[in-house]
Amino acid sequence: MNNTIVALSTARGRAAISVIRMSGDDAIQIAQKIFRPFPQQPNMLRVGTLKTQYFNEHAMCVYFVAPHSYTGENTVEFHCHGGTAVAQAVIETCLDNGAIMAQNGEFSKRAFINGKQNLTNAEGIIEMIDAETASAAKAGANLLENKLGKRIVQLQDVLLDTVSACEVALDYPEEDLELPTVETAKQQISDVLTQLNALISTSTLGKVAKYGIDVAIVGKPNVGKSSLLNALLGTDRAIVSDIQGTTRDTLSESVNYRDIRFNFVDTAGLRESTDEIEIEGVKRAKKAADSADVVLHVTDDPSDRSVYPTVRPQIRIYNKSDLFGNEPCCVDSLVVSAKSGNVDIIKETLYEMFSAKDIETSDLLITNERHLSCMKRAKQQLENAVKFCDQTTLDVVANEIKGAWQTLGEITGTTAQENIIDRIYSKFCLGK
Amino acid sequence: MTKTEKIFEVIVIGAGHAGCEAALASARLGCSTLMFATNLDTVAFLACNPSIGGTAKGQIVKEIDALGGEMAINADKSLLQMRMLNRGKGPAVYSPRAQVDKNAYHVNMKKTVENTPNLYLRQGEAIKIEQNEDGTFCVTTAVELTYSCKAVVVCCGVYLNSRTLVGKCIRESGPNGFANARYLTESLKKLGFRISRFKTGTPARVRLESIDLKKTTEQKGENDVLPFSYVTQSIPATKRSCYLTYSTAETKRIILENKHLAPIYNGEINGVGPRYCPSIEDKVVRFADKEKHQIFLEPEAEDTCEFYVQGASSSMPASVQEQIYRSIEGLENVEIMRDAYAIEYDCIDATQLNSALMAKHLPGMFFAGQINGTSGYEEAAGQGIVAGINAARYVQGKTPFTLRRDNSYIGVLIDDITTKENTEPYRMMTSRAEHRLILRQDNADLRLTETGRQIGLVDDERYARYLHKKQQIELAQKELKSVVSPKIYGPLFQQKQEAVTGAGLTVDEMLRRPNITAKDLQELGYFSNIDPDAIYEIELESKYRGYIEKEKEAIEQANKLENKPLPRDLDYSQIDGLRIEARQKLNKIRPENLGQAGRILGVSPADIQILIVYLAQNIHKD
Repeated sequence: MNNTIVALSTARGRAAISVIRMSGDDAIQIAQKIFRPFPQQPNMLRVGTLKTQYFNEHAMCVYFVAPHSYTGENTVEFHCHGGTAVAQAVIETCLDNGAIMAQNGEFSKRAFINGKQNLTNAEGIIEMIDAETASAAKAGANLLENKLGKRIVQLQDVLLDTVSACEVALDYPEEDLELPTVETAKQQISDVLTQLNALISTSTLGKVAKYGIDVAIVGKPNVGKSSLLNALLGTDRAIVSDIQGTTRDTLSESVNYRDIRFNFVDTAGLRESTDEIEIEGVKRAKKAADSADVVLHVTDDPSDRSVYPTVRPQIRIYNKSDLFGNEPCCVDSLVVSAKSGNVDIIKETLYEMFSAKDIETSDLLITNERHLSCMKRAKQQLENAVKFCDQTTLDVVANEIKGAWQTLGEITGTTAQENIIDRIYSKFCLGK
Repeated sequence: MTKTEKIFEVIVIGAGHAGCEAALASARLGCSTLMFATNLDTVAFLACNPSIGGTAKGQIVKEIDALGGEMAINADKSLLQMRMLNRGKGPAVYSPRAQVDKNAYHVNMKKTVENTPNLYLRQGEAIKIEQNEDGTFCVTTAVELTYSCKAVVVCCGVYLNSRTLVGKCIRESGPNGFANARYLTESLKKLGFRISRFKTGTPARVRLESIDLKKTTEQKGENDVLPFSYVTQSIPATKRSCYLTYSTAETKRIILENKHLAPIYNGEINGVGPRYCPSIEDKVVRFADKEKHQIFLEPEAEDTCEFYVQGASSSMPASVQEQIYRSIEGLENVEIMRDAYAIEYDCIDATQLNSALMAKHLPGMFFAGQINGTSGYEEAAGQGIVAGINAARYVQGKTPFTLRRDNSYIGVLIDDITTKENTEPYRMMTSRAEHRLILRQDNADLRLTETGRQIGLVDDERYARYLHKKQQIELAQKELKSVVSPKIYGPLFQQKQEAVTGAGLTVDEMLRRPNITAKDLQELGYFSNIDPDAIYEIELESKYRGYIEKEKEAIEQANKLENKPLPRDLDYSQIDGLRIEARQKLNKIRPENLGQAGRILGVSPADIQILIVYLAQNIHKD
């Protein structure tokens, strides 16, 4: 017996349409009470009237019969006019007729429980929902397609072979079955480690695909940092003036370029100041630079060879080429003119720098923190196993390999614990 | 209703390794106990190899001993030689293995049974078990005598409807020509037990004098292995040797040429045999790329020249057997004294039992040993003591006694056979125990003596020894904390190539260094008054502490599910979301808790999630 849950499936707020989804044993009965004429058959969208206590909503309705639905339960969707009020009224009507409000991620949790998806599929859905760029969406889609799951199962297979070979050696000391030497085990483990490392290394690119590149724009006052930001964004986002110290606080804004998200942070100009607000601004600028993936160190002085004090990689930008022209001394800088607006060379350089074009060709990127941490743990366990091959006894080695096998299983949920699954589903937005 | 002649509290059917432990436990716990054997000469008969212990099995023997059972004591009394297997592969898998005198083993066990108060040994074939209206049981024997009891323990081994096969020669017989039991299967079916058919086999026994020992490698026992039993004071040095030899390419040729004559390949055998204990013909066929296989020659007893040819069980015609054995190195002129044979027998579906080994649908009826689909003396005896204890507790109105996966191999064994449907005879292996770093042969007493004492099987002498060992360990633990200055440990560390830090180290920190042993520390004056077995525990716990801690965490994690009981009357077919296969399996096996449910074949982690959610919702409703 599954109670019937309801929630808004589309984003809250102003929009052209809202989709309200209801799932559970009574979903269809409840819908029949409030929506007329009800669709004659499942999987067919029908126009009709949804009666709420405030107004009659002209809407569309479609229903799916268990198990042929996203959740695997009877499911109904109402496609209504957008806006908070309409959605609120429709949900209220469903609640009045016996539905209850869905918890975060409950639709997907039910889909998982009903065998409609595995854990990595589910996480793929989260990533798709959260995706801000095509690259991020693609990474999510790969998860949905279970590409990662398949790769993990392959690795687990090898480990299972290795561990069972060790177990045979332990359990049959007197049999002359082909006892694997520790060397074979080592070889197999190191093969898995190589593949695991390759997967782990995609996480850098995965981060770029999922979150984009964080870029801090820093430099002395009045070198044109805010103009540069505006040029990069293609809008007049930041206030620009000739007065030194116009930008006091950091200002963040994102823009997509070739399917990659660039998160720019404009900062206050660096100079000695007694103004309390400006001092704080400078402090924040330094912090922004230190937490960025890359720093754009802007200057308008062709002879400026200074290096910005940060541990992050930096690119020197020689701005205002419109005023001074392309001086030969600027070879190690990018020469742009924020004023003329042609700053794509910066985006292109960053794009190259982070090998973002590899995202298109790569077939699997690790974009999920949980996956990454499982892989890192498995890696540690396998490294222990290799180390223990020389230092200690086979019983312990076998335990570590088994441990790694289990850790990898957590990624796909074949060995997942209750708390892991709950944590995953609580990350879903309501209604999905 | 047949007239009841004799009344007992517990009746044990079968006097093999399971039956003897069950009957001894029941009688020692104060129940008047009757044990039947189809032939009193089969009491504790070692029908297959003349050895006790081995990987995982040695651990079980020690566990039976810690609980107050007999197998370890009896093996020590009947010992020919003792070895520790798996040295060098780690303490978790160290496994003691004894060659025993099979005649002495039978005689010694029979003597113990005969001398136990409350225990009555009776020759007789049980042909019928019925339940009376008051819940008691009535057992009828072939000579039409009837006996009644409050609890019955069925331990009839491989005797139910058994047939032995040597080529085309098929006999309705139990092992070694002993009579089989032809009627009890029908009675068990009537009581609602599902019956399946398994097979196993045994090699030929050959004459020592006909073996060319020069072509073999002699294996003596090892003198530094402790006795099986914690109460045995000492064991003798090697009385007889074993010999190692190999099969040849010729062996393989003969088998492949005559394969069609082996009952297992020509369809005569219907029973399923164990994969891990294959006949020589099985090995040759399955491991086709191997040219030779190891063969161990083991003495059957002290005063016989019969030798057991381990690794060469066969069901080929006797004439082919002779060719096969004579193709083995050193056995060119061997004289066979007893033929190898395969044996088929009935067993029950042990998933019908609960973890106390009592039938879920028939309270008071217990099963132990090979009838539950297991193989091996030790596996049988381990079940026997648990079934015997529980039969007595059932009669006395006490709560069931169960062992767990995290405290014993016997617990793993019983959980496995009552949870997973067996498709072949079940043999215990260390890899079946997920917590084997904790379930070691050296600490079985520490794990189970206290339990055995509470049950009432551990006598004062055994308990005193246990308390002494515990006290010794505590004393040694105190020494672990004392700090040693570099002046004292420096020379030792230099000699052992361990880095000297310049600062003081605790004894524990020293012991954790890979190259430092407890013996080294004893030479520095530590652990001077501590017994060797206590020092061993301390050393092991120090060196493996990290892994042992991890193992304990894993146990805690696993126990979260183990501690979630499932209602007995839960109808799984009504739980939405469970896959069809899971519903069927859960309804059939009716697991006791979520942990057990998760181990059922066909129940996935997703099914367990659904059960968790279901239980949570229903608890909320209450």
